[in-house]
Amino acid sequence: MRRVLAVAGMLALTVAAAACGGTPAKVGSGSATHGKMVRGGTVTVAEPSGASPNDIFPLEPATNSNGYNTNLTMGEWPFLVYVGYGSKSVVNPQESLYSSLTWSHNDSVITIVLKPWKWSDGAPVTSRDFTFVYNLLKANYNDWLGYNPGLFPEDVTKVATPNAHTVVITLNRSYNPAFYTDDELAFVPLLPQHAWDRTSLTGKVGNYDETTAGAKAVWNFLQKQGSDMATFDTSPLWKVVDGPWKLASFQSDGYYVWVPNKNYSGPDKPVLSKVIFTPFTTDAAEMDTLRSGTSLSVAGLPLNDVGQIGELESEGYAVASVPTPGVAEIVPNLWNPVNGPLLRQLYIRQVLEYLINRKQIVTQAFHGYADPGNGPVPVTYGQQWASPLEKAGGPYPYSPSKAAALLRAHGWKVVPNGTDTCLRPGTAAADCGAGITAGEKLQFQLLYASGSSYFDQMNAAIQTSEAQDGVKIVLKAEPFNTLVATTGTCNAQSHPKSTCNWQLQQFGYVPYSLDPSGAGIFNTDAINNYGGYSEPKMDQLINATEYGSSPSAFYAYEDYAAQQLPWLWLPNQDSVVVYRKNLAGVVPASPFDFTLNPEVWYYTSSAK
Amino acid sequence: MTAYLLRRGGQSVVVIIGVMILTFILLHMEPGSVARSVLGLKATPARVAIFDKDYGLNKPLYQQFILYVKQLFQGNFGISYQLQQPVASLIAQRLPRDAILLGLSTLLALVIGVPTGIYQALRHNLLADDLLAGTWFTLYSAPDFMEALLLIALLCVQFHILPPAFPGGVTSVAGLFENWPALILPVAVLSINSVAGFSQYARSTALQTLAEDYIRVARAKGLPERLVVTRHVLRNSLLPVITILGLSLPDIVAGAVIAEAVFNFPGMGLLFWQSALAHDYPVMLGGTLIIGVATVIGNLAADVAYSVLDPRIRYGST
Repeated sequence: MRRVLAVAGMLALTVAAAACGGTPAKVGSGSATHGKMVRGGTVTVAEPSGASPNDIFPLEPATNSNGYNTNLTMGEWPFLVYVGYGSKSVVNPQESLYSSLTWSHNDSVITIVLKPWKWSDGAPVTSRDFTFVYNLLKANYNDWLGYNPGLFPEDVTKVATPNAHTVVITLNRSYNPAFYTDDELAFVPLLPQHAWDRTSLTGKVGNYDETTAGAKAVWNFLQKQGSDMATFDTSPLWKVVDGPWKLASFQSDGYYVWVPNKNYSGPDKPVLSKVIFTPFTTDAAEMDTLRSGTSLSVAGLPLNDVGQIGELESEGYAVASVPTPGVAEIVPNLWNPVNGPLLRQLYIRQVLEYLINRKQIVTQAFHGYADPGNGPVPVTYGQQWASPLEKAGGPYPYSPSKAAALLRAHGWKVVPNGTDTCLRPGTAAADCGAGITAGEKLQFQLLYASGSSYFDQMNAAIQTSEAQDGVKIVLKAEPFNTLVATTGTCNAQSHPKSTCNWQLQQFGYVPYSLDPSGAGIFNTDAINNYGGYSEPKMDQLINATEYGSSPSAFYAYEDYAAQQLPWLWLPNQDSVVVYRKNLAGVVPASPFDFTLNPEVWYYTSSAK
Repeated sequence: MTAYLLRRGGQSVVVIIGVMILTFILLHMEPGSVARSVLGLKATPARVAIFDKDYGLNKPLYQQFILYVKQLFQGNFGISYQLQQPVASLIAQRLPRDAILLGLSTLLALVIGVPTGIYQALRHNLLADDLLAGTWFTLYSAPDFMEALLLIALLCVQFHILPPAFPGGVTSVAGLFENWPALILPVAVLSINSVAGFSQYARSTALQTLAEDYIRVARAKGLPERLVVTRHVLRNSLLPVITILGLSLPDIVAGAVIAEAVFNFPGMGLLFWQSALAHDYPVMLGGTLIIGVATVIGNLAADVAYSVLDPRIRYGST
C-alpha cells in the first residue's frame, strides 16, 4: 500500500560524491563538481510555492496532509530504513539506523539490531525509542497520516526488546521482506522516549506510552506541540534529534534554518555551517530570484522555465534532473453512470492508450524531462523493477492504425476528426460490448487540475491525437482542490451521482514508496483505486508481490497491469534542480529522499 | 455629529452581521467536501470523519454558525484547515505587512496624483495636460503584472539594481523596513495604477472649482495664484479623493494578490486566494469579516473627513 507522504518535487534529492575528505555513505557514482572541499558556508534552498511545512512532530496527524512536513523533520529524525544511495533506488544500510535487519519464521518475524547512535543530548538511541514509537502508533494509528489499513502497526502482534539495541517484531502474517522493508519500515522514525514521553512541557518524563490511555495523552500533547509553529525553534522537545541537522530558526511563513547536530552519530557529518530554506509564493518569484543571480544556492526549476537553463548556467548554476518515483495516469471511471460501460471494455481503454502519443508529450510538453510512462512502473528510476515489456515501450505504443482497427473490429464506425458511433451493439466478440447502445458516441470528458501549462499542453495533445480516430475528448480544467472536493472514489457497490459523474480524470501522479508495488492502487477497493477497477487476477498478482517472495511475481503483476489498463499510462515529469556550480554533492541525486540531504554538500571554492 | 456617528455605528453592526451570515451560507453552499479538498485524494471515510469531527463540520449548519459566532466573541476566528494555524494569527501576520505595502503605495499615488491633477487643471487643454493624461492612462490601462514583470526584467535581471522578490522569513513590520530595497518595486507597481485615478479625480474637481465665483473673487481681490491654488483649489479638490481613500481601506485589508504573488510578498490577497481554492472556510470568513469592517470604517471615516474639509457639510441635522 502507498504511504501518503507527498514528495516535495525538487526536494526529492539525495546526495553523493565527494572529491576529497573520505567517502560519504550516500556516494553514488561520480560527481558533478570537483575541487578542494571548503568547510563551512551557507546554502540557501528555495522552497517551491506551497511547500512550507507547518508541523514538526514526525508522526503527523491524519488531518494534516502537508507532505512537506517530512522535508522539515527527516534531517532531524531520520527513518529507521534509509532509502536512496546516490542515484540508485535502493535501501542504504550505511545511512539507516539499523546495523542488521533479519527476517525469520517464514518471513513473519523481523529482528532489528540498532546502531550505537546517540541523541543530540548525549543519550543513547535504544530499542526503547522504537517501542515508544510503536506504542504511540498502536494507540493512535487512526489519527496518523502514515497509517494504511492492515499494515504497521496494525499487523504487529508483539514487539520484544531483548536488549537495549535489539527489537524483535512479530507480524500477524508472512510478508515479502523487500516490500515490508522498503514500503513500511522506511517510514518509521525513532523518537527520543527519554525526552518526549511526557504529557506536558513542565511535567516529568515517564513511561506513559506503555498504557493506551497514557499513549493517547502523550500523542495529544506531542501533536499539539508539533503544530505550534511559534515554538518550533525554541521548544526543548524539538532540540533532541538523532539526524545530522538541528533546527536553529523557524518563521511562520515556512522559512527555516538548519545547523549541524554536533553529536550526529551517522556516517556523513555536515560540512556546511548553515542551510536556509526560504519560501516562495510562486514559481515566477523563484525564477526571477534565480535569474537575478542573488542569494539562492539550490532550487527546483519549474518545467515551464526549462527554456531558461542556458541563462541560468551563465549565472553560475548547474542543472540536474531526477526521475519522480510514481505513476502518472488518466483514471477512467468504470462506474460513471453515462459511459462507465464504455470504459469497462478493455478494448476501449486500449484504443484510448494507443492514441496517446507519449513520446511526443515527453518531448514537447515536458521538454524531455519525463519518464515515458510505458506502464505502472517508471523505467527511468527503478531499472530493477521495470519489466522487459515496459523497457521495450509497453504494450500499447502510439498507433492510430491499431486503435482504428480495434474499433472497427468491435463494430464501431470510425470518423476521423469527428465522433465514432457504435454500429453493432451486443456482447459478442465483434460487438461494441455490454451496456453500449446502437448509435452511442465515443466521447469522454477529461477533468484535470488547472494551473500547469505542461498539463494544459499534454491534455491538448491527447485531445488532438484521440480525435484522429474519432474519439472525442472534452477537456475541463479546475483547481486541484475543487476537483478533489467534488469527485470521489467510485466502484460497483457505490457510485453516487454526486461524486461519480466524472469520466476521466488526470490529477498528476501517485507517488511510490521504494518498492513500486500495485498494492493500494490497483487491487479491489484500494485507497487509490478511484475508478473502481476490480479484477481477481490482479488482486492475486498484487498479493503475490506483497506477501510472497517469488522474484518473478513482480514482473507478472507489472505486465498484467500494463496490459489491463486499470489506468491509462502517461509520461511522468522529472524534477529539475538547479544548484551553484561550486556546490558539490548535489548530484547524483536519488528520487527517494523526502528532503534534501545537505550533510554531504560542500563548497569547492572560496565562494560560499 | 455624535448622534450621527452612533446611528452609523449601529447600521454598520447590522451590515457586518448580514455580511457574515451571507458569507457563511454562501461558503457552505459550495459543492464538494471540505475534508476531501483539504485531505486530498487519499481522504478515506475514516479520515474524513475525523476531520469533520475535529472542525465541527458534522454538526447542522445553524449549530456551526452559532459556534462560529461564539468563537468570534472570544476573539477566536477558528483554525485554518489548510495551514493548521489560528486565523487570527494568520491575519495578524499579514495585515500589517499589507497595510505597509498598500499604505505606502496609496500615499505615493496620492502625493503624485493630486498635485499633477491640479496642475493639469491649471494647464487645461494645453500640451502638459494632454501629455500627463496620456501618460497616466497608458500606465492605468497596462496590467499591473505586466508592469511588474517588465520592471523586474529590467531592474533586477538585466541591471541587478534591485532585488526581484521579497526575502523569506521576514514576518515583522520592522523586517519589512530592514529589507526596504525589496519594497521599492511592489510599491511602485501598485502606485502606478492608482495615480491615474487620483489625478483625474483631482483634475476634474479642480476644473469645477476654478470655475466657481469664489475663485474669481479671490483672484479679483489680488490673492496670489499660489494661495488661490493651495487655499481654495487644493482643499476643494481633495473631497472626491477622500471618497477614494475611504473606499481604498478595504482594498488595503484585502491585499494585492498579483503583486504579492510576483514579488514573493505573502499577504492577505494570497491568503484569501489560496483559502478560496482550498475551501478553507475559517480563513475566508475571517477575511470577509475584516474586509467588511474595513469597508464600514472607510466609509465612516470618509464622511467624517468631509465635514472637516467642508464646513458646509453637517451630519445629524435635517
